[in-house]
Amino acid sequence: MEKITNFFKTFLLYELVKGMALTGRYFFARKITVQYPEEKTPLGFRFRGLHAKRRYANGEERCIGCKLCEAVCPALAIKIEIAEREDGTRRTTQYDIDLYKCIFCGFCEESCPVDAIVETRMFEYYGDKPGDLYYTKQMLLAMGDKYEEQIAKDRLADAKYR
Amino acid sequence: MINVEIDGKLVETENGSTVMDAAHKAGIHIPHFCYHKKLSIAANCRMCLVEVEKAPKPLPACATPATDGMKVHTHSELAVKAQKGVMEFLLINHPLDCPICDQGGECMLQDVAMGYGATASRYSEEKRIVMQKNIGALISTMEMSRCIQCTRCVRFGQEIAGMMELGMAFRGEHAEIMSFVDSSVDSELAGNMIDLCPVGALTSKPFRYTARNWELSRRKSVSPHDGLGSNLAVHVKNNKVMRVTPIENEDINECWISDRDRFSYEGLNVPERLTKPMLKQGGKWLEVEWPAALEYVAHGLSQIVNEHGAAQIAALATPQSTLEELYLLQKFMRGLGSGNVDFRLRQSDFSADGKQVNAPWLGMKIAEINTRDRLLIVGSFLRKDHPLLAQRVRQAVKHGAQANIVHSSNDDLLMPVANKAIVAPNELLNVLAQILKALAVEKKATPDASVQGVEVGSAAAAIAKSLASGERAAVLLGNFAQQHPQAVQLALLAERISALCGAQFGYLGEAANTVGGYLAGAVPYGNGALFIEKRISPRRPKDVVQGMNAAQMLASPRKAYLLLNVEPELDMHDPQQAMTAMRAADMVVALSAYKHHATDYADVLLPIAPFTETSGTFVSSEGRAQSFKGTVKPLGEARPAWKVLRVLGNLLDIQGFEYDTSEEVRDAMLSGHNVADKLNNHVEGVAIQAVMSASDAGMQRVANVPIYSTDAVVRRAASLQKTSDASTPCVKMHGNELRKLGVQSGGAVKVSQGRATVRLEVQADDTMPAGTARVAAGHPATAELGAMFGTITVERA
Repeated sequence: MEKITNFFKTFLLYELVKGMALTGRYFFARKITVQYPEEKTPLGFRFRGLHAKRRYANGEERCIGCKLCEAVCPALAIKIEIAEREDGTRRTTQYDIDLYKCIFCGFCEESCPVDAIVETRMFEYYGDKPGDLYYTKQMLLAMGDKYEEQIAKDRLADAKYR
Repeated sequence: MINVEIDGKLVETENGSTVMDAAHKAGIHIPHFCYHKKLSIAANCRMCLVEVEKAPKPLPACATPATDGMKVHTHSELAVKAQKGVMEFLLINHPLDCPICDQGGECMLQDVAMGYGATASRYSEEKRIVMQKNIGALISTMEMSRCIQCTRCVRFGQEIAGMMELGMAFRGEHAEIMSFVDSSVDSELAGNMIDLCPVGALTSKPFRYTARNWELSRRKSVSPHDGLGSNLAVHVKNNKVMRVTPIENEDINECWISDRDRFSYEGLNVPERLTKPMLKQGGKWLEVEWPAALEYVAHGLSQIVNEHGAAQIAALATPQSTLEELYLLQKFMRGLGSGNVDFRLRQSDFSADGKQVNAPWLGMKIAEINTRDRLLIVGSFLRKDHPLLAQRVRQAVKHGAQANIVHSSNDDLLMPVANKAIVAPNELLNVLAQILKALAVEKKATPDASVQGVEVGSAAAAIAKSLASGERAAVLLGNFAQQHPQAVQLALLAERISALCGAQFGYLGEAANTVGGYLAGAVPYGNGALFIEKRISPRRPKDVVQGMNAAQMLASPRKAYLLLNVEPELDMHDPQQAMTAMRAADMVVALSAYKHHATDYADVLLPIAPFTETSGTFVSSEGRAQSFKGTVKPLGEARPAWKVLRVLGNLLDIQGFEYDTSEEVRDAMLSGHNVADKLNNHVEGVAIQAVMSASDAGMQRVANVPIYSTDAVVRRAASLQKTSDASTPCVKMHGNELRKLGVQSGGAVKVSQGRATVRLEVQADDTMPAGTARVAAGHPATAELGAMFGTITVERA
């Protein structure tokens, strides 16, 4: 019996018709393709994109050089040097993130006791030549200054889950 | 012995021990902060509360004596509840600023809070704030709010360092640790408070905010600065020494180290470090490559050997050099055919050379000092020269020992001293003779003929009486006595005294290799020296080349000098003479870690590695050979000195320089030998001279080497140089002497010795013996003066 069914299915191109039916259904259905870069997908407030270093409202940088992010970083992408600033506070003299090494796990952000290092929604960046994606403290602070509004909003949204 | 049950484990413990001790024996950890095995029990942190059956309330384990049949629960519901309660109280006022705290990651409070702390605090009121105090250049008290009032630092000061410099003022919430008004913490052991502090209230000032402890790798090393051979943990990050802490060794340094050992590392990373070989050509210093520099040295030395003979070459090394360096240096010199090699730079009496068969040493184990009941310490600035040994003497005194001091300066030893004889340097011999005579009378023996003539004074009689009444006495000769122009006579008398009262007789070693130098044969005399069969001389292979000692080498200047780590103006007994000899020499080769004063007179500077950058061995005062590895790579092109000497040996075709590792060098020296067999303080064939009362020879110099001027590394340690111990030396004289000069205390005087005159501040010190002036040696301010002993002129400036 099965043999007979198979014979007719082969003969009548049943599988082909079935496949074409699916294709046809999608052909006429509504498209979900996003026309990047003209169009963009929505991002969550926990999106882990490019890093930034934040400042307080008075312009003082948040980072206290505790090196917890450096210690927790699984990819060893962070390099920090610290020193005592003239006013006796503990500050970084060097804070580099090697984005070639970074795996965007977000541990640095999670370990930071003062919310100084954060990952932003920014993921559209590139490097022209080797070394371009080696982000120094100044570059990270500039990122922070640029996106502070968005960053603060995202932290606030996330606050109740932490 | 009693039986205690802790957490169901039966432990046998000694009568009178505490529950804490018993728990340690059982391997059970009880959380604690104020308890420390070396300090008295305070029981004020309450963290170690445990449940004891039949006791109504939890009891502190550290202060509860264990009794037979006691049943203790350290982790029962009641105990844990009590411990958690204490933890919550402790955290009420603790700032929880762990991310910026230098103690973070190695903090007892942090660790215990992980186990007993709550996730959130119920305390929402304001925390207390304790203002910082400036207590000196070494200890930072920037965050005294972190203090949990365990009083470990206070008890350390009282019990171990001997001076209470920190105390707890006020009560309750206002209680805070502080020093006396406006005074700094000046103890030479103060750095240990940093280790003791269970939180980050007392932290290291030089280390502050430079690294986190999890970034550091700890590497073992040995301290070069005194004869104790303290075990160090050198903390390294990025090939740089970041800090130094002790490694516990009950036989040597217990769990302490002196500040000199702890903070000297700063001297390793200074810009003055020599990183490339340098040659002087046409009056200008040029940086050159190693082969060029070594060729130059080899060529220069062989030229001098050919033209003037090998005896025109002399080598000086500091006793802080490693055993391997000293051994290769003497082998190199003897290979050239010159026996002029010496490491006893500050010594002036060499009359025992060749007569002392073995190496002079401490005469006992370091730990045995604690068990002595009578001590006679001759000529020692004990606290400053041997900080940790002084601590051991202090413990002995605390347990009932009588310390007797014969010295030329009445320094406060921070312990009760039974008897003191403070006399001018040229009277020291006389005092020892008096003690010997009085002791002979006490012991009903016939006094030696040589001391028959002396008249026994009251101090000497009291010392003799004290020594005679003891069972386990020790007679120790300090650095001052060893540097004395009659050191050998002093030693002979001291040996006679110790023989009469059955005491141990020993020398306190000045530096890490003061014993090792003898073992390495870095002394000019041959027939008594130790590892004679291994030395090679091309002409007389079986015989050891003899030569000049440190004093002779300078008194009759040589054509060429090889300086190993030596800064002649600071390290020598007579810097004036040393500098004259250096300036007159045709060739001076300075193997040094630093670009020091040698740029004025040397021809070649070869950069060598200090103790953290080379492997080597130190033989401590007690004859313990401790080998260590390099902790970091040599800076720049600096190389370990043993490698430099090895290559020099090869360049000059001297046999027996085929070593590849420093271990091979060490084994060539030590394997097959028992160091203990080579230690003996006995001097054969030198008679005790008849002791006379010293004639009035004018103002006598009493020269100490300040604690932070002992060697090249310490002299460059910035923070140590900011302490009060490192202040510019001033002249100390008896008030009567000052009145004779017509100078006020605090005024300026002109001090002349030999050809030089320096201007120094003078201070009245009525404990100085009449006719003496204390002028420190080893410091740039006094480097132009002459010998450490002898007559000195002090005039009104």
